[in-house]
Amino acid sequence: MQTVSSILIWAVIALCGVVLITLPVNLQTQLIASTVVVTMMAIIKILKRQGTWRLVALAFGTAIVLRYVYWRTTSTLPPVNQLENFIPGLLLYLAEMYNVAMLMLSLFIVATPLPPRTARALKTQNFPSVDVFVPSYNEDTNLLANTLASAKAMDYPADKLRVWLLDDGGTAQKRNSTKVLESQAAIARHDELKQLCVELDVEYLTRERNEHAKAGNLNNGLEHSDGDLIAVFDADHAPARDFLRETVGYFEDDPKLFLVQTPHFFINPDPLERNLRTFDSMPSENEMFYGIIQRGLDKWNAAFFCGSAAVLSRKALESQNGFSGISITEDCETALALHGAGWNSIYVDKPLIAGLQPATFASFIGQRSRWAQGMMQILRFRFPLLKRGLTLPQRLCYMSSTLFWLFPFPRVIFLFAPLFYLFFDLEIFTASGSEFLAYTLAYMLVNLMMQNYLYGSFRWPWISELYEYVQTVHLLPAVISVMLNPRKPTFKVTAKDESISVSRLSEISRPFFVIFAVQVIALAVTIYRVYAEPYKADVTLVVGGWNIINLILSGCALGVVSERGERASSRRVRVDRRSEFGVGDKWNSASIEDVSVHGARLNVFNKDMGLVKIGSEAIVRFQPYSGTEMVTLSVIIRNIEQMGDITTIGCQYVPKGAADHRLIADLVFANSDQWTKFQQARRRNPGIIRGTVWFLGLSLYQTSRGLLYLFKGVGAEKGQQRQDAKAKG
Amino acid sequence: MRRILPALIFLITAAVAQAQTTPFDMSGERPKGEPPATPQIFTPQPATPQTEAPKAVAPLVIAPQMTAPQAIVPPAATPQVVAPHMTTPAVPAQVTPQAAPVVKQAAPATPAFRRYVVPFAKFRLEGENDRRSWSIYLTPEQAAAPAKFNFAYQNAVVVAPEASQLTVLLNDRVVHQQQIGSPDSVSDVSFDIPRGLLQPGANLLTFEATQRHRTDCDIQSTYELWSDVDPEKTYLSFTGREAEKLSTTDAIRAIGVDGAGKTQYNIVVPALAQPGTTKPLLRLAQGLSLLSGMPNETFSFGTDGVPAAGPGKMTVVVGTPAELQPVFAAPSSAQSGALATFATDPRSGQQLLLISGPSWQAISAAIDMVVSPTDRDPGTRRDLLVTQRWTAPDAPLIYSGTSLSFEQLGVKTTEFSGRRFHTSFNVAIPSDFYANAYGEATILLDAAYAKDVRPGSHIDVYVNGSIATTKPITASGGGIFRQLPIRITMRHFKPGLNTLTLEAMLMTDEDTVCAPAATSSTTPRFALFDTSQFRMPDFARVAQRPNLAAFAGTGYPYNRDTEPTTLFIDRADADTLSASATLLGQMAIVAGHPVAVEPTTSPNTISGRNAIFIGSISQLPSTILSQMNIAATSQVAWRPPTPGQAGTQDASVTIADWRSRISGGLLQGQFDRFQQWMHRNFDISLSSLRFMPSSEQVFTPSNANTFLIAQEANSTNDATWTVITAPSAGDLRAGVEAMTSQLDWPQISGRITVYSGKTGKIDTVPVSRFDLVMSQPWSLTNYRLIAANWLSSNILSYAFLLVIGSLLLGVSTASILSKIGRRE
Repeated sequence: MQTVSSILIWAVIALCGVVLITLPVNLQTQLIASTVVVTMMAIIKILKRQGTWRLVALAFGTAIVLRYVYWRTTSTLPPVNQLENFIPGLLLYLAEMYNVAMLMLSLFIVATPLPPRTARALKTQNFPSVDVFVPSYNEDTNLLANTLASAKAMDYPADKLRVWLLDDGGTAQKRNSTKVLESQAAIARHDELKQLCVELDVEYLTRERNEHAKAGNLNNGLEHSDGDLIAVFDADHAPARDFLRETVGYFEDDPKLFLVQTPHFFINPDPLERNLRTFDSMPSENEMFYGIIQRGLDKWNAAFFCGSAAVLSRKALESQNGFSGISITEDCETALALHGAGWNSIYVDKPLIAGLQPATFASFIGQRSRWAQGMMQILRFRFPLLKRGLTLPQRLCYMSSTLFWLFPFPRVIFLFAPLFYLFFDLEIFTASGSEFLAYTLAYMLVNLMMQNYLYGSFRWPWISELYEYVQTVHLLPAVISVMLNPRKPTFKVTAKDESISVSRLSEISRPFFVIFAVQVIALAVTIYRVYAEPYKADVTLVVGGWNIINLILSGCALGVVSERGERASSRRVRVDRRSEFGVGDKWNSASIEDVSVHGARLNVFNKDMGLVKIGSEAIVRFQPYSGTEMVTLSVIIRNIEQMGDITTIGCQYVPKGAADHRLIADLVFANSDQWTKFQQARRRNPGIIRGTVWFLGLSLYQTSRGLLYLFKGVGAEKGQQRQDAKAKG
Repeated sequence: MRRILPALIFLITAAVAQAQTTPFDMSGERPKGEPPATPQIFTPQPATPQTEAPKAVAPLVIAPQMTAPQAIVPPAATPQVVAPHMTTPAVPAQVTPQAAPVVKQAAPATPAFRRYVVPFAKFRLEGENDRRSWSIYLTPEQAAAPAKFNFAYQNAVVVAPEASQLTVLLNDRVVHQQQIGSPDSVSDVSFDIPRGLLQPGANLLTFEATQRHRTDCDIQSTYELWSDVDPEKTYLSFTGREAEKLSTTDAIRAIGVDGAGKTQYNIVVPALAQPGTTKPLLRLAQGLSLLSGMPNETFSFGTDGVPAAGPGKMTVVVGTPAELQPVFAAPSSAQSGALATFATDPRSGQQLLLISGPSWQAISAAIDMVVSPTDRDPGTRRDLLVTQRWTAPDAPLIYSGTSLSFEQLGVKTTEFSGRRFHTSFNVAIPSDFYANAYGEATILLDAAYAKDVRPGSHIDVYVNGSIATTKPITASGGGIFRQLPIRITMRHFKPGLNTLTLEAMLMTDEDTVCAPAATSSTTPRFALFDTSQFRMPDFARVAQRPNLAAFAGTGYPYNRDTEPTTLFIDRADADTLSASATLLGQMAIVAGHPVAVEPTTSPNTISGRNAIFIGSISQLPSTILSQMNIAATSQVAWRPPTPGQAGTQDASVTIADWRSRISGGLLQGQFDRFQQWMHRNFDISLSSLRFMPSSEQVFTPSNANTFLIAQEANSTNDATWTVITAPSAGDLRAGVEAMTSQLDWPQISGRITVYSGKTGKIDTVPVSRFDLVMSQPWSLTNYRLIAANWLSSNILSYAFLLVIGSLLLGVSTASILSKIGRRE
């Protein structure tokens, strides 16, 4: 009752607001009102007020955005009889309206994200039986060994935990392939993995035919297992020890629960982070999704399955005939089906797995194409807004998640809109300079401020735009093709463990340079026109300014597609773990500083390490999280550095069997707290001004780097490194 | 008495008269049993046998029959009235052979009769192209008489004769065309008007000038081009006395103007001082004013003697035969019934309008005969504001969202070869227009420009002389605009008549080079098509109190009163009454109907009703002055300087003047620069940042002022009071006569308008605080627009509301979100 009355009050206030906002007041009034509102918003932001104030600030922003929409709709569209202006003008208008609609959906979703749940691990009493599925298609044995070992090492009663390797790379279909090479590889893989599974005490399961891709593979696993709960990990997602303890308890609280999703945490940078070198300082792209959006979705019981790092209920899955597989994003589709059937989901905001993400730009785009195409398929086949069984908030949440992937369209339009004016003199946005200032500038400011308010420490200014831009170029054709041919796309597994040994341009980088060149020409045209046509300099300046923003973005993108060569093929993770270092039979106390899946770096406390030579064998002894007894791991020394009493030694593991993989997994993946700590360290909010200045500097530098890669070709690596050093200095 | 041989005009049979609803048909109002002879309309005895004239004009009768009903109801007197007649030259052509001999016989005997035709004191055709058009009303006799057109003009030295032309059109037919080449002295031009071109009723007269500069090609130089037509030497001259004859009271419409563009009614009322005469006389004045519809009308009351006659003047004698005895001998029929007729004054020989009857009651009835055709129910809408006597066509009155094509607005498709094209049209808006702050009208322009027109040229739109918008031409190589929207701010719109001017500034490379004779090139550069449209959106409609602009625009609120407006006149002397009549006459013209007034001398009876106070300031009750926010001391202190006194300096130094003279500190300077920038780009100043209108200041008229008009709500805030006052009755009359002129009347605005007789300067005190008076039925859309305008003028209030709204929305959203969805 109380809820109804507050909704009524809200509706009345909102109606008054709409009436107020749609008054055709004059330009001066708009200018003053937007100045006042933007100022108020800025004050609230500077004071860092949260709670109700956060919503007040968002309401301020919404008011300005809606004023902009009203003005844009009523007075800026070119006349219909000028088709050459009207058509691009309408497209631009639709693109902007799409953005506003997405902003409104986001506001709804993340107005008050659910605060992270308190740790559940210690309260868990009942231990239902769990089947852990690790679907694999073509991943490397070592990678699988680490994941399986980590899964096996999870803190859970051993008799309730069964780990399954669901191998789609060794199916009968593949083994009996008519292509000899392929069949030989499949047979070898089949045997090797079978062997590994035996060693790790893990079930190996494969099937006859590769039908329905990942969903089919998982359904095959469902058929052959009988645990109450299903945990799914991608082949490269190694769980921490406390994964099950943090998640299974929720199924006990809510019998209608079908999903507990946890964030995906990546220990390697994506190509953007790698090439721009922001991995250690700036929050990752997916942190916005897992840090805020999933929590927002969780508030509306709409957190969805992301394919991995989640626990699902067998009862729920079986009620819907397992995982759905119409689209190539079976995860979201499955969640949508189960939500529609009245099941609930929750999201636990604690990184409990560590995974890998695509390292090259091309495979990054490949992965995103799959997501975009899959979401388009869901939009097409399971239109969430009209799906039965969903609550209204759930419908909106799913619409937001799927519609998001239409972003290539507005991006492209924003990219080309200024060129219509600069090159062809088309007026696709009829407004004077002062109107632009009063409406558009206020709108853009408010947009930036709202973004910063919503995602502040999870997403720095302009980074969303950069990500969208770098994806747009190749995603647009993918999205268009799925729209024309919705059943065509097939599931392609993303390669994630590639490495780049030499600096080079990505193989799909050419369009970025073309676009950049066009924008530079547009900049030249702008300058020429400001002088040659002073009577419309104001419009030229505004449009030219817009082009410059695009130029800054696409300049930065040049850096993204210029892939840096990297020596270490795998990422090091900082740990701080007591250990002992043995050379021969002499033991020194040491601490493990950082580890990767290939090796570790230790600080050894001993003045006298003269005997140790590079290339010699040694033993590291430490206490694993999973046991009380000390264990040993053989290594080869690769690197020695003497610093006073401390000798820093870099070494490479020499895994001799499945048991050693368990130890490596324990060293690298077991402790989930280290992921949390690492993420927290990057979560800073630089603010709009500092963020913008930072981005400008980044863009300038990356532009020059991209151009250098282009002109000097592959051989430019050395000069590049020198320049990098200079830039850093 | 002897020379006036009353003859009933049954020129037209009774049946026809009824069919055409003649203005003087009172059959409906006549009580039964009374003799049916009441509508006696007499014609003076003409020299020639009366019977001949009707015969001669017999074929013509058809024409007045057609025009008459249209002319009676002014709103319907659209230019279309003129149109059909142009296309019917056949009818007059048949007449000519019959009528001509008659005229020729009379011609040598009598001097030509002149009718001045320019309704302005000064008449200048400016720029590279100019066009002025208005209608003149001719009696059937004038239309039938052979006529000559005379005009005199002088032009600027820089006008190149070989490339400049002056064209005179009558009823849209070119009657004269010549090079403009009279830079040194005034040239007289005279030509015959083709027979049959003039028609009884409205005739459209158009002057068109195309002028080019002798030497210069820049836009600036086009402002040096002018030709002055001398109104005093511009007239139609008719041959024969016949044309001078005023036969029916319809001839009031044909009064015309004098050599200075003025029209004057001299009303002789021997019983002027009698109470009870004021009301019918003021009604008569309004009726006369409306019938003629002239722009600069004055009324002058006298008690003795018939004033001298002249062009643009008409004498009206009003009184019972007994009262009239000393001045004029009324016909005996006046003893028996109401009488309104033209008669010839035996002494001066002039024709005058005689209104008489056995009693003042009968006189009132006679006045009604004259005035009633102009009556209109205040509740009915009119579609036009009648302006055709000085600018044709009449302005359409726009009440809500409307599109009007340029063709409807009288703008013709034009090709233009010069560098500054301009054209104007008029629209009218109602008195309760309330969209100055937010509103925007649109011109959907159909135009084209040639390929030599350089980008950077522009099209400007002016509203009432203030620039409203500029649309740059940005593409080179020529172009065609098809329904190109040009938004025009409605800030300068005001109730009543509005003039919109479209000006195209065309720059070309040829003009930069400016080779000899370049200006005389006739290659078109610009074309404006009459398919362009003026589009007025729905606008907020609510009356404002006070608002003198609405008073001047349509006579608001008195034009909408259903009961008579109280008119306070303390002393009905000739000056005060003349002033009242002139003012009410002008009000009737803008209101489109006579405004019923109820004269009173007691201020106490007024209280809750709309009222007009007229009189010298010392005669006005002091409470009224304080209600008007005028300093009470002005009742004794306001005295214009007598000629001997040194002229008091008009000390108008303000702080703002001084601000510009000092440089100020660095920070101050920056702030000032910012303020100026804001003002330049957004028209925002510190004073426009306000929540609410500020309160009114008490106004003290300076001694340089000789006339004042003020408006305010009454003390109970339910009626509008307007005060028209001056230091003396003489000043009052002079002031009213000056302010009701066509040039000055539109300048009345704000809450107080003052006029200085010596300098002719008009100042206004703007309205700062006003009441909104609902003039329209309740409607959500109208309220929304009213709110938009109010908030657009009280800028901070909007910001405040927006902030409060957002705050509430934020808080209520927080409250909802804490109740729905998960919240652990």
